[in-house]
Amino acid sequence: MVNLLYTEVLKLKRSKMFMLSILGSAVAPLMVAAAMFVQMQTKGIMAQMDILLLNTSIYAVLVIAVPLYGVITAYLYNREYAEDTLKNLLTIPVPRISLLASKWLLLFGWIMLLTVVTWGMAILSGAIGQFAGFSLSLLLQSLGQYMVAGVLLFLLSTPIVFITLVLKNFVPTIIVTIMITLINVMLATNEHRGLYPWTAALGIANGTLESTYPLIVSYVIIAVTAIAGLIATVVYFKRVDIH
Amino acid sequence: MSVVIKTTNLTKIYGEQKSVDHLNMTVKQGQIYGFLGRNGAGKTTTIRMLLGLIKPTHGEIEIFGENLFTNQKEILRRIGSMVEVPGFYENLTARENLMINAKIIGVHKKNAIDETLEIVGLHNETKKLVGKYSLGMKQRLGIARALLHYPELLILDEPTNGLDPIGIKEMRRLIKDLANERNITIVISSHILSEIEQLVDHMGIIHQGKLLEEVSFDQLRKRNRKYLEFQVSDDNKATMLLENQLEINDYEVHDEGHIRVYSHLGQQGQINRLFVQNDIDVSKIMMSEDRLEDYFTKLVGGGTIG
Repeated sequence: MVNLLYTEVLKLKRSKMFMLSILGSAVAPLMVAAAMFVQMQTKGIMAQMDILLLNTSIYAVLVIAVPLYGVITAYLYNREYAEDTLKNLLTIPVPRISLLASKWLLLFGWIMLLTVVTWGMAILSGAIGQFAGFSLSLLLQSLGQYMVAGVLLFLLSTPIVFITLVLKNFVPTIIVTIMITLINVMLATNEHRGLYPWTAALGIANGTLESTYPLIVSYVIIAVTAIAGLIATVVYFKRVDIH
Repeated sequence: MSVVIKTTNLTKIYGEQKSVDHLNMTVKQGQIYGFLGRNGAGKTTTIRMLLGLIKPTHGEIEIFGENLFTNQKEILRRIGSMVEVPGFYENLTARENLMINAKIIGVHKKNAIDETLEIVGLHNETKKLVGKYSLGMKQRLGIARALLHYPELLILDEPTNGLDPIGIKEMRRLIKDLANERNITIVISSHILSEIEQLVDHMGIIHQGKLLEEVSFDQLRKRNRKYLEFQVSDDNKATMLLENQLEINDYEVHDEGHIRVYSHLGQQGQINRLFVQNDIDVSKIMMSEDRLEDYFTKLVGGGTIG
């Protein structure tokens, strides 16, 4: 598995996707910080660090992350079809499950790295803009919240992987992630947001879910979505003929 | 000679279409086996089944004497393959692409990558990204990748597809050298007879998913080479004359009085004169028009192969 993971990292060498994803993950904190900074300058309201971190996480998780991670997921899994390298890997042979697992591991690392970049950029922007309320405990608490959101979004990548493998194309994956994002935006302040896996993920991470439903319901919905995606992916990929 | 590949009633059905139909194929150790058929005959589907990429609808595959589906991992480790146009990570160099295979397979020989790049003549192109390679270079890199782990069996599906005449010639020389130097069993598929007839020693002909014939190339050549046919009144005396007077030994007697002479093809007049001068009646002289290409055309029907 270590060698397989090494080769997955090697495949990213000179890939523009990595740098683009870093830039993508920096969009939310920069956008939120810029908006707060302008407000601070024009209306004289002191910008608070905790608000910056919370708003960044809302925009990052609900708006940016799903399409961004969807593109990364599609890139990782679909490129073996697009570049016709799958037939080589499977005849070396790499067991199909190991191939899926190594890509999932890389995806996990990639998502967590982008999560840290988003968090780091928020902190950096807040520091440069001299936002109030900087404290070590706030930093650590927000880092924990960002990481939880990252892990939950990673778990919710399994249906995206399934769609990518079945349709063998970037476009349907991107369309699906845009649809998920639109529903995210619609449900962002809805009392039933705990029932939708992607908005539930943000609510769990930030502790902002309303008490309409017990928290366990949101956990179960996320787990069922992730496990169903995982099972569908594994069953499909184990059986599919490679043409 | 031990059997390397043996398929039994290998069948693949898509919907109502039988892509491969009860195919029984046998490849023995050391053979260069040509797998010939028109486009869409079922060659690639068969090869993909041999490599575990496609699951057969039914039938068995034994490779190295073991069932492919129960020992797939161990069997595939002993095989090198290139299926159609090989795919590569275009953002990587040739060396980096081969490194991926070397890491996964666990090739420990230090200079294995350089060695295989040298075999295929790409050792001076190591800094170029594969995305900038020509099709011919990619095909050669595909062979290098297939050879990296010193396989005992090499399976090449249409390795000359899309290559120009010089590329085809180079590929043929490369495969021939490999067979001579490494003494590995090679299965090579093609839809163009002339591309592989100089390479292979055994051949399987597939048409509409069925293996029509599996023969040695010597047999095929003999069966299908040009000849002069004489219909004579006394074949015993005629053959004696051929041997003693003209030193012709490459002939066959078919039916009664029908002699096929495989050499001296332009000398039918001289042979006829010899027979007549020795009181042998010659009732028919015929030059066969059968050539190998025609034979395949007849076998698979239609215009040309491919």
